[in-house]
Amino acid sequence: MPVIPAELTYSGGRPSADQLAARLLVGETLLAEHPEHLVEVVDVLKSYGEVLDAYSINLIFQAERQFLNPFPVFRFLDGDLSPAKIWRHLNHDRINFEYAEYCMKAMLWHGTGGLDAYLDSPAFLDNCRAVIQRKTRRDPLLAVLDPLFPGFLPEAIRAAATTHALGQFWRVMSDLFLDLAKAEASGSVASIAAVVRFIQDGLVRAAAQPISYAVEVEGNSYWILPPEAGLTFLVDVAVPYVEAVFLRGMPFLGTVSFNAQAQQISPDQAQFAYGALYADPLPTMGAGIPPSLLMQDMYRHLPDRLHALYRRRSRSEGDVRVKICMSFQKSMFCVTNAAIAGTFPHPLDSNDPVAQAANRAYADAWAARLSVARTDCLDPWSDRIPT
Amino acid sequence: MTLSLLLLIPFLGAFLLLLWPSEPAPGRMRAIAITTLALQLIWSLWVLFRFDPSLEGMQLQESYRWVASLGLDYRLGIDGLSLPLVLINGALTLVSAVCTRDISQRPRIYFALLLLISAAVNGAFLAENLLLFFLFYELELIPLWLLISIWGGTGRAYAATKFLIFTAVSGMLILGAFLGLALLTGTADFSLTPVLSDRLAMGSQLVLLVALMIGFAIKIPLVPFHTWLPDAHTQASTPVSVLLAGVLLKLGTYGLLRFCLGLFPEAWKLVAPVLAIWAAVSVLYGSLAAIAQRDMKRMVAYSSVGHMGMILLAAAAATPVSLLGAVFQMVSHGLISALLFLLVGIVYRKTGTRDLEVLRGLLNPERGLPFTGTLMILGVMASAGLPGMAGFISEFLIFRGSIGAYPLATLLCLVGSGLTAVYFLLLVNRAFFGRLAITPPSPDPVSDSRLDIRLAGVALRETLPALGLSLAVVGLGLVPAGLGWLSETTSTAMAALAAHSGGLL
Repeated sequence: MPVIPAELTYSGGRPSADQLAARLLVGETLLAEHPEHLVEVVDVLKSYGEVLDAYSINLIFQAERQFLNPFPVFRFLDGDLSPAKIWRHLNHDRINFEYAEYCMKAMLWHGTGGLDAYLDSPAFLDNCRAVIQRKTRRDPLLAVLDPLFPGFLPEAIRAAATTHALGQFWRVMSDLFLDLAKAEASGSVASIAAVVRFIQDGLVRAAAQPISYAVEVEGNSYWILPPEAGLTFLVDVAVPYVEAVFLRGMPFLGTVSFNAQAQQISPDQAQFAYGALYADPLPTMGAGIPPSLLMQDMYRHLPDRLHALYRRRSRSEGDVRVKICMSFQKSMFCVTNAAIAGTFPHPLDSNDPVAQAANRAYADAWAARLSVARTDCLDPWSDRIPT
Repeated sequence: MTLSLLLLIPFLGAFLLLLWPSEPAPGRMRAIAITTLALQLIWSLWVLFRFDPSLEGMQLQESYRWVASLGLDYRLGIDGLSLPLVLINGALTLVSAVCTRDISQRPRIYFALLLLISAAVNGAFLAENLLLFFLFYELELIPLWLLISIWGGTGRAYAATKFLIFTAVSGMLILGAFLGLALLTGTADFSLTPVLSDRLAMGSQLVLLVALMIGFAIKIPLVPFHTWLPDAHTQASTPVSVLLAGVLLKLGTYGLLRFCLGLFPEAWKLVAPVLAIWAAVSVLYGSLAAIAQRDMKRMVAYSSVGHMGMILLAAAAATPVSLLGAVFQMVSHGLISALLFLLVGIVYRKTGTRDLEVLRGLLNPERGLPFTGTLMILGVMASAGLPGMAGFISEFLIFRGSIGAYPLATLLCLVGSGLTAVYFLLLVNRAFFGRLAITPPSPDPVSDSRLDIRLAGVALRETLPALGLSLAVVGLGLVPAGLGWLSETTSTAMAALAAHSGGLL
């Protein structure tokens, strides 16, 4: 057998858990500083921001205007039922809103944080009862369904509430990522460290923003997530989102699958490691399935600068969605980096040994989870053909 | 002159290349070779146009006295057995030249040898004189030896020498049988005369037939004379493998039908039961050996051993249906094996390996070789004899035509045909399904799912020859009547000859 050429098997480095913890504790970024990394992260977040804008609008539309609609056939049309819009939809000239739904379902299923706790509370059930009572008056199908399956409509409302909360979360993140692109264009953000700081500041600013949700039924407004529930942006939605989508499970269709019967999947959801930071950007099996719907969407909104960078790499347009996915993972490591940096229990420059130990334990816990993630993308050369 | 042009065109092209003044660019020499071979193919199609399939004898015959004292006459003719092979020679030599790229080492000689081989193979298929056939049979030997030993892989010297020794022995046995036939019949006329052997005692016929049989069994190749083939394929470049599998092996099966069955129909009847068992052993051995391979090219080479064995079964049965199936098998195996070697060549060029323990997930739509993988799946389906493709027609005809005469051998060959699906599914499953990788599997899931796959994409022009062959494989599978129409009269006549001579029917 001939020797496999070295350029075909070049591999990026993978930092150990200790190295990752050390970087977090000294305030270094996880993603290496490199001019191309900056372009990748800022531009892919810009395209992601534009996609999130559409996702956010649609999720909020679905939660408010398609509430308890048993056949929401037109839920992706944002209320525009013109023939031109329907034709574009059928012709797949559109954003893949299914991806946003999958993320909502991941959040709902993994259910962590304050939002999930409130969705299981008696107060929430009371809210559900009130709105179901009103809704079933004029909807015979729901009137039959509710007594037959008493848990069905409350579960549908839980899904609607998560949909709305995710829409609100992405509204903030979309604006943040688009602002980041403007800041980079103006020169105020010129490094990966500055990107992480920018995102961290944005998250901290929005941390206490309230999350609420009301629906209108026959002219009356009903609270589903009332302000008095005290749900806020960071703790109750952002953190559960990161846990569900970044760490536990992300719907990257077409990537490597796992066999539960072969014990490849832990029965403990908390042990799941199939999120965005772990996902394989290379699709497996089924020629023609794209890496994910998200990559298709971001490709539609790809900035010219990043597009030109991709054209110079590997297969140019041929594997552009894989490259988007790899850049997306880099950017998600930056977002995770910002979230970790913003939630250390004590300031990193503290001289108190107790505070240092607490920070150390916090960093170690994150590093242990991240050490088995796709950290090879943190290497600046990982997507380049070595010369 | 119609048939002579099938020899003259490639011969003149070869001389043109050799005598071309100064040192033209490799691209120009490739263009000359492709133009010449395209002309040859067009002329082959013209011959097809002039051919009358309803006649059972040789057509468009040409005859010139050459060395009368030796009995060597320049006599050419074509019938329903040789015409499909001439066509496939024209097509596959052209494919070989088209898929030869980036040849920097002695391109002038390379393309000239390619043209010489094509001319010699045409000559062998058209020769109506035994010595003339032998001359052309030997003429393709040296160019092919050079193609392997100069442009082959790292073990080319061993493989080329082995090929040379085996096929030289094959040539000697064939020449010995031809000379023995002339000596024992007391005639210096080496023309293709089926009834010549009637004058011989059965013992003499058997001796001559066995010598001839072994000579062609080496070329086909049949177990146990097959060992040169996997080595030659492994070391040969892709275009040479295409030629070897697609065209040159057919010289052996052509000889089997034309000379072994054609010249010794009476003795054939006696040895046919043994030949049927030999065919079953060859088919089963080739298939089982293919399962054990980890080199994709060796796997395809062993599959050839298996599939060529089926032609021996068809010849042993010698019924009109089985002989028609043999012709179909020669054509379909030529197309399918050429397709598979082309695709293995693409995989090797892009990944640097053919090791099934190393390659995985090449069907990956983004960074793998998805179109190559798609054609590979089509190719292995055709080779496994799935309906709708060329392999099905030929295997069905062979099995249908042989089962009455040799049910056990036919059933064993059917098992061998089933094993084709086994080893080719192993190939597809290992190399094309799963997560893309070109590294040996590792127990570490992290390093096992690396992102750093940097295979260059396959340009459309690189897959065009394979695409053309794929279309031909499907076309022949869906519309087999054309080839049947061409060959049926000849194969029926051959079967009648066998039946008339004491017969198998």
